[in-house]
Amino acid sequence: MAITQAMCTSFKTELLTGTHNFTNSSGNTFKIALYTSSASLGAGTTAYTTSNEVSGTGYTAAGAALTNVTPSADGTTAITDFSDVTWSSSTITARGALIYNDSVSDKAVLVLDFGADKASSSGDFTIEFPAAAAATAIIRIA
Amino acid sequence: MFGIEINMSPGEVNVQTTQERGHNTQELSSNAVNKIISIADTADPVIRQQAEAFKERMFYVIFHTLNQAVESDRTTLYNQLKKQGHDDMAEILRKL
Repeated sequence: MAITQAMCTSFKTELLTGTHNFTNSSGNTFKIALYTSSASLGAGTTAYTTSNEVSGTGYTAAGAALTNVTPSADGTTAITDFSDVTWSSSTITARGALIYNDSVSDKAVLVLDFGADKASSSGDFTIEFPAAAAATAIIRIA
Repeated sequence: MFGIEINMSPGEVNVQTTQERGHNTQELSSNAVNKIISIADTADPVIRQQAEAFKERMFYVIFHTLNQAVESDRTTLYNQLKKQGHDDMAEILRKL
Protein backbone atom coordinates (compact mmCIF):
# COMPACT_ATOMS: atom_id res chain seq x y z
CA MET A 1 0.00 0.00 0.00
CA ALA A 2 1.38 3.37 -0.96
CA ILE A 3 0.45 6.77 -2.21
CA THR A 4 2.49 7.96 -5.18
CA GLN A 5 2.14 11.51 -6.45
CA ALA A 6 1.11 11.52 -10.10
CA MET A 7 -1.18 12.83 -12.77
CA CYS A 8 -3.60 9.95 -13.29
CA THR A 9 -3.07 8.21 -16.61
CA SER A 10 -6.81 8.02 -17.22
CA PHE A 11 -6.96 11.81 -16.77
CA LYS A 12 -4.39 12.33 -19.52
CA THR A 13 -6.48 10.22 -21.86
CA GLU A 14 -9.65 12.03 -20.85
CA LEU A 15 -8.06 15.37 -21.66
CA LEU A 16 -7.85 14.24 -25.26
CA THR A 17 -11.52 13.34 -25.26
CA GLY A 18 -12.64 16.62 -23.69
CA THR A 19 -13.96 15.01 -20.52
CA HIS A 20 -12.90 17.63 -18.02
CA ASN A 21 -13.72 21.34 -17.87
CA PHE A 22 -11.77 23.41 -15.35
CA THR A 23 -13.49 26.71 -16.16
CA ASN A 24 -14.52 28.60 -13.07
CA SER A 25 -18.29 28.62 -12.37
CA SER A 26 -19.46 27.16 -15.69
CA GLY A 27 -17.03 24.21 -15.59
CA ASN A 28 -17.12 20.93 -13.69
CA THR A 29 -16.99 20.61 -9.92
CA PHE A 30 -13.72 19.16 -8.65
CA LYS A 31 -13.23 17.77 -5.18
CA ILE A 32 -10.29 16.78 -3.03
CA ALA A 33 -10.48 13.74 -0.77
CA LEU A 34 -7.94 12.85 1.93
CA TYR A 35 -6.47 9.38 2.49
CA THR A 36 -4.55 7.54 5.17
CA SER A 37 -1.15 5.95 4.63
CA SER A 38 -2.93 2.62 4.06
CA ALA A 39 -4.37 3.84 0.76
CA SER A 40 -3.09 2.65 -2.58
CA LEU A 41 -3.18 5.57 -5.00
CA GLY A 42 -1.07 6.56 -7.98
CA ALA A 43 -1.00 7.02 -11.73
CA GLY A 44 -3.24 4.00 -12.15
CA THR A 45 -6.06 5.46 -10.05
CA THR A 46 -9.07 6.09 -12.26
CA ALA A 47 -11.79 7.33 -9.89
CA TYR A 48 -12.59 8.44 -6.37
CA THR A 49 -12.68 5.60 -3.87
CA THR A 50 -13.83 5.41 -0.27
CA SER A 51 -11.17 2.81 0.50
CA ASN A 52 -8.86 4.13 3.24
CA GLU A 53 -10.36 7.60 3.03
CA VAL A 54 -9.75 9.69 6.13
CA SER A 55 -12.39 9.90 8.80
CA GLY A 56 -12.34 12.34 11.66
CA THR A 57 -13.93 15.37 13.23
CA GLY A 58 -14.56 18.08 10.66
CA TYR A 59 -14.08 15.80 7.65
CA THR A 60 -16.96 14.58 5.49
CA ALA A 61 -16.61 11.55 3.22
CA ALA A 62 -15.90 12.50 -0.43
CA GLY A 63 -13.85 15.47 0.73
CA ALA A 64 -14.20 19.17 -0.01
CA ALA A 65 -15.20 21.01 -3.15
CA LEU A 66 -12.45 22.99 -4.82
CA THR A 67 -12.76 26.43 -6.35
CA ASN A 68 -11.37 26.25 -9.88
CA VAL A 69 -9.27 28.96 -11.40
CA THR A 70 -10.02 29.16 -15.12
CA PRO A 71 -7.11 27.73 -17.15
CA SER A 72 -4.72 30.20 -18.71
CA ALA A 73 -1.32 30.27 -20.38
CA ASP A 74 1.98 31.27 -18.80
CA GLY A 75 4.33 31.54 -21.73
CA THR A 76 3.85 28.32 -23.66
CA THR A 77 2.60 26.37 -20.65
CA ALA A 78 -1.11 25.89 -19.99
CA ILE A 79 -1.93 26.06 -16.30
CA THR A 80 -4.85 25.82 -13.96
CA ASP A 81 -5.14 26.26 -10.24
CA PHE A 82 -7.43 25.82 -7.26
CA SER A 83 -8.02 28.00 -4.23
CA ASP A 84 -6.53 26.72 -0.98
CA VAL A 85 -8.81 24.42 0.96
CA THR A 86 -9.15 24.20 4.75
CA TRP A 87 -10.91 21.76 7.04
CA SER A 88 -11.53 23.96 10.07
CA SER A 89 -11.84 22.77 13.68
CA SER A 90 -10.80 19.34 12.47
CA THR A 91 -8.99 16.35 13.91
CA ILE A 92 -7.56 14.57 10.88
CA THR A 93 -4.51 12.53 9.98
CA ALA A 94 -3.82 12.16 6.25
CA ARG A 95 -0.93 10.99 4.11
CA GLY A 96 -2.22 12.01 0.69
CA ALA A 97 -5.11 13.24 -1.39
CA LEU A 98 -6.99 12.62 -4.60
CA ILE A 99 -8.41 15.38 -6.76
CA TYR A 100 -11.32 14.13 -8.83
CA ASN A 101 -14.12 15.36 -11.05
CA ASP A 102 -17.31 15.28 -9.02
CA SER A 103 -19.36 16.24 -12.10
CA VAL A 104 -18.14 13.41 -14.32
CA SER A 105 -18.44 10.04 -12.58
CA ASP A 106 -15.84 10.96 -9.93
CA LYS A 107 -13.06 10.48 -12.48
CA ALA A 108 -9.57 10.88 -11.01
CA VAL A 109 -7.37 13.86 -11.91
CA LEU A 110 -4.26 13.62 -9.78
CA VAL A 111 -2.84 12.06 -6.66
CA LEU A 112 -0.95 14.07 -4.04
CA ASP A 113 1.57 12.52 -1.66
CA PHE A 114 2.20 14.66 1.43
CA GLY A 115 5.48 12.86 2.09
CA ALA A 116 4.48 12.01 5.65
CA ASP A 117 1.38 11.85 7.78
CA LYS A 118 -0.03 15.33 8.41
CA ALA A 119 -2.31 15.80 11.38
CA SER A 120 -4.57 18.48 12.77
CA SER A 121 -6.02 18.35 16.26
CA SER A 122 -8.99 20.62 16.94
CA GLY A 123 -7.37 22.93 14.42
CA ASP A 124 -7.04 23.72 10.74
CA PHE A 125 -5.94 21.25 8.07
CA THR A 126 -5.00 23.37 5.07
CA ILE A 127 -3.80 22.40 1.62
CA GLU A 128 -1.99 25.33 0.08
CA PHE A 129 -1.83 25.04 -3.68
CA PRO A 130 1.27 26.38 -5.44
CA ALA A 131 1.39 29.65 -7.33
CA ALA A 132 -0.30 29.53 -10.73
CA ALA A 133 2.83 29.77 -12.87
CA ALA A 134 4.47 27.67 -15.57
CA ALA A 135 7.01 26.15 -13.21
CA THR A 136 4.79 25.64 -10.19
CA ALA A 137 1.05 25.33 -10.93
CA ILE A 138 -0.78 22.29 -9.64
CA ILE A 139 -1.80 21.29 -13.16
CA ARG A 140 0.37 22.40 -16.04
CA ILE A 141 0.79 21.20 -19.60
CA ALA A 142 4.16 22.15 -21.03
CA MET B 1 7.98 12.17 -39.32
CA PHE B 2 7.89 14.01 -36.02
CA GLY B 3 6.14 13.94 -32.68
CA ILE B 4 5.31 16.51 -30.04
CA GLU B 5 5.83 15.62 -26.41
CA ILE B 6 3.56 17.12 -23.80
CA ASN B 7 4.84 17.08 -20.23
CA MET B 8 2.44 16.91 -17.32
CA SER B 9 3.24 16.59 -13.66
CA PRO B 10 1.40 17.80 -10.58
CA GLY B 11 2.77 20.81 -8.71
CA GLU B 12 3.87 20.57 -5.09
CA VAL B 13 1.26 21.42 -2.50
CA ASN B 14 2.04 22.58 1.01
CA VAL B 15 0.03 21.02 3.83
CA GLN B 16 -0.31 23.09 6.96
CA THR B 17 -1.94 21.86 10.13
CA THR B 18 -2.56 23.42 13.52
CA GLN B 19 -3.15 21.98 16.96
CA GLU B 20 -5.95 23.43 19.07
CA ARG B 21 -5.99 26.75 17.24
CA GLY B 22 -6.69 28.14 13.80
CA HIS B 23 -4.14 29.63 11.45
CA ASN B 24 -2.86 33.00 12.61
CA THR B 25 -2.64 36.08 10.43
CA GLN B 26 1.09 35.66 9.86
CA GLU B 27 0.62 32.17 8.44
CA LEU B 28 -2.29 33.28 6.27
CA SER B 29 -0.35 36.31 5.03
CA SER B 30 2.53 34.06 4.05
CA ASN B 31 0.15 31.79 2.11
CA ALA B 32 -1.42 34.75 0.36
CA VAL B 33 1.85 36.34 -0.72
CA ASN B 34 3.19 33.00 -1.97
CA LYS B 35 0.04 32.65 -4.03
CA ILE B 36 0.29 36.15 -5.48
CA ILE B 37 4.02 36.36 -6.16
CA SER B 38 6.12 33.53 -7.54
CA ILE B 39 9.78 34.19 -8.30
CA ALA B 40 11.49 31.84 -10.72
CA ASP B 41 14.80 30.28 -9.67
CA THR B 42 16.13 31.33 -13.05
CA ALA B 43 15.25 35.02 -12.63
CA ASP B 44 17.99 37.60 -13.12
CA PRO B 45 19.59 38.31 -9.69
CA VAL B 46 18.77 42.03 -9.82
CA ILE B 47 15.15 41.41 -10.77
CA ARG B 48 14.99 38.65 -8.19
CA GLN B 49 16.19 41.02 -5.48
CA GLN B 50 13.55 43.59 -6.44
CA ALA B 51 10.87 40.91 -6.54
CA GLU B 52 11.89 39.64 -3.10
CA ALA B 53 11.67 43.18 -1.70
CA PHE B 54 8.25 43.66 -3.27
CA LYS B 55 7.12 40.31 -1.90
CA GLU B 56 8.21 41.28 1.61
CA ARG B 57 6.35 44.59 1.33
CA MET B 58 3.23 42.79 0.12
CA PHE B 59 3.48 40.39 3.04
CA TYR B 60 3.26 43.25 5.54
CA VAL B 61 0.38 44.90 3.66
CA ILE B 62 -1.62 41.66 3.76
CA PHE B 63 -0.57 40.94 7.36
CA HIS B 64 -1.73 44.36 8.50
CA THR B 65 -5.01 44.09 6.59
CA LEU B 66 -5.78 40.65 7.99
CA ASN B 67 -5.07 41.85 11.53
CA GLN B 68 -7.47 44.74 10.96
CA ALA B 69 -10.10 42.31 9.64
CA VAL B 70 -9.75 40.10 12.72
CA GLU B 71 -10.00 43.09 15.07
CA SER B 72 -12.98 44.47 13.18
CA ASP B 73 -14.80 41.13 13.25
CA ARG B 74 -14.13 40.80 16.97
CA THR B 75 -15.69 44.23 17.51
CA THR B 76 -18.80 43.09 15.64
CA LEU B 77 -18.97 39.84 17.63
CA TYR B 78 -18.33 41.69 20.90
CA ASN B 79 -21.32 43.91 20.28
CA GLN B 80 -23.52 41.01 19.21
CA LEU B 81 -22.67 39.10 22.39
CA LYS B 82 -23.28 42.20 24.55
CA LYS B 83 -26.68 42.74 22.90
CA GLN B 84 -27.61 39.15 23.69
CA GLY B 85 -26.64 39.61 27.35
CA HIS B 86 -23.42 37.55 27.23
CA ASP B 87 -21.22 40.22 28.81
CA ASP B 88 -18.71 37.68 30.17
CA MET B 89 -18.15 36.09 26.77
CA ALA B 90 -17.93 39.53 25.18
CA GLU B 91 -15.16 40.45 27.63
CA ILE B 92 -13.23 37.24 26.88
CA LEU B 93 -13.41 38.06 23.19
CA ARG B 94 -12.34 41.67 23.74
CA LYS B 95 -9.26 40.56 25.70
CA LEU B 96 -8.06 38.10 23.05
